[in-house]
Amino acid sequence: MADPANNSTNMKLVVVTPEATVLDVTAEFLVVPLYDGELGIARNHAPMIGRLGFGELRYRNGGQTASYYVDGGFVQVQDNMVSVLTNRALAAEEIDAAAAEAQLSEAIASKTTNAQQMAIRERLMLQARAQKRMASKA
Amino acid sequence: MANPRELDKRRKSIKNIRKITRTMELIATARFRKAMDRASAATAYTEQIMKLVKDLVSSGVSVEHPLLEPRSEVNNAALLVLSANRGFCGGFNGNVTRAGLNHLKSMKQEAEHVRVEVSGKRGISGFKQGRVEVDHQFTNFEDRPAYDDVELIANRYLAEYASGMLDRLDVVYTRFESAAKQHVTIETLLPLGGLGLGDAEPADASTTVYEFLPSPESILEEVVPTSFRVKLFKCFLDTAVSEQIARMVAMKGATENAGDLIKQLSMQYNRARQGRITSELMDLIGGVEALS
Repeated sequence: MADPANNSTNMKLVVVTPEATVLDVTAEFLVVPLYDGELGIARNHAPMIGRLGFGELRYRNGGQTASYYVDGGFVQVQDNMVSVLTNRALAAEEIDAAAAEAQLSEAIASKTTNAQQMAIRERLMLQARAQKRMASKA
Repeated sequence: MANPRELDKRRKSIKNIRKITRTMELIATARFRKAMDRASAATAYTEQIMKLVKDLVSSGVSVEHPLLEPRSEVNNAALLVLSANRGFCGGFNGNVTRAGLNHLKSMKQEAEHVRVEVSGKRGISGFKQGRVEVDHQFTNFEDRPAYDDVELIANRYLAEYASGMLDRLDVVYTRFESAAKQHVTIETLLPLGGLGLGDAEPADASTTVYEFLPSPESILEEVVPTSFRVKLFKCFLDTAVSEQIARMVAMKGATENAGDLIKQLSMQYNRARQGRITSELMDLIGGVEALS
């Protein structure tokens, strides 16, 4: 297996959505939002497949930290190569706080009658909250 | 001999048409490039999903999911036909519509209720002509279908499938194979009937042992609907790319035909003009001779 970078502290991070490859960079350290909380990944992490929640993806490269919002999906770690598959990935500054707020209040106001609608509502609320959280931090 | 002025008028109008078709060809070429880029970007995602599923399977998870199991009784089926919003693209819309109408007949024999959903204005009017009622119609997909829009449709199907309101979903679309080859394809997307592994080759000994968070089953549960959504998205992307290619080809043909017509008309026009001059000269000479 070719080492993504011969530098011994780096690993490769690739973020793909169905529409585009959003990120293809090297990173020293990164944090992904798993379904139940954040997970930090450094070099030589054991091979892993995880389910993502809605939240913030951060990576550090050369002392610079960049942050992205990811919308569910999966993460796969293998041979210092981290691939993130997600529906949407937005750079932190692209997040529309007002739209997230609107989505949240709409979801809260919506009436649900069965389990399925509940799940959708829950999902919308989680999405909106995660976006709001990130927007307020930025 | 035809009137030279008439011929010239016709030639001018054909020149205008040629200008228009050439421009349309150029526009289609540009859009084709863009659509193509998007389609290849989607391929990156599908490949990653495939890899994930493969790793999942080789780690010994039994691939079982309600979306993968064909139902013994098909009561409610749906047919989704993907066409374009615009014409001027040769047989593109006609082919899809015809295949859709034919497939609808065979589906009606297998299932009790068949719903028809059509994307693209041309397909919608095609089905109207065939006197088929269209339950849902989408006209919001142009040359750059957005994943968010497709996801909405996909989620509706998933919800209907889960609640038993839908037992089977067939999609008729134009599959893009290469820039020179696209053909109409009918695909059953629900039930998925396999994750497209194609009897994955036996896992080699060097397979990495993965840690699963939270569990392989939970991941599989999420992977299957995702791969359905992506598959549907791919159908939309293929349609967009194929539409642009079809338009490119049709407009190229039209431009060439216009060129030929202009050549022919120019010849006729020159001949007619020459003929008129000759006859005028003859008149003149005749008049002079009569005088002398």
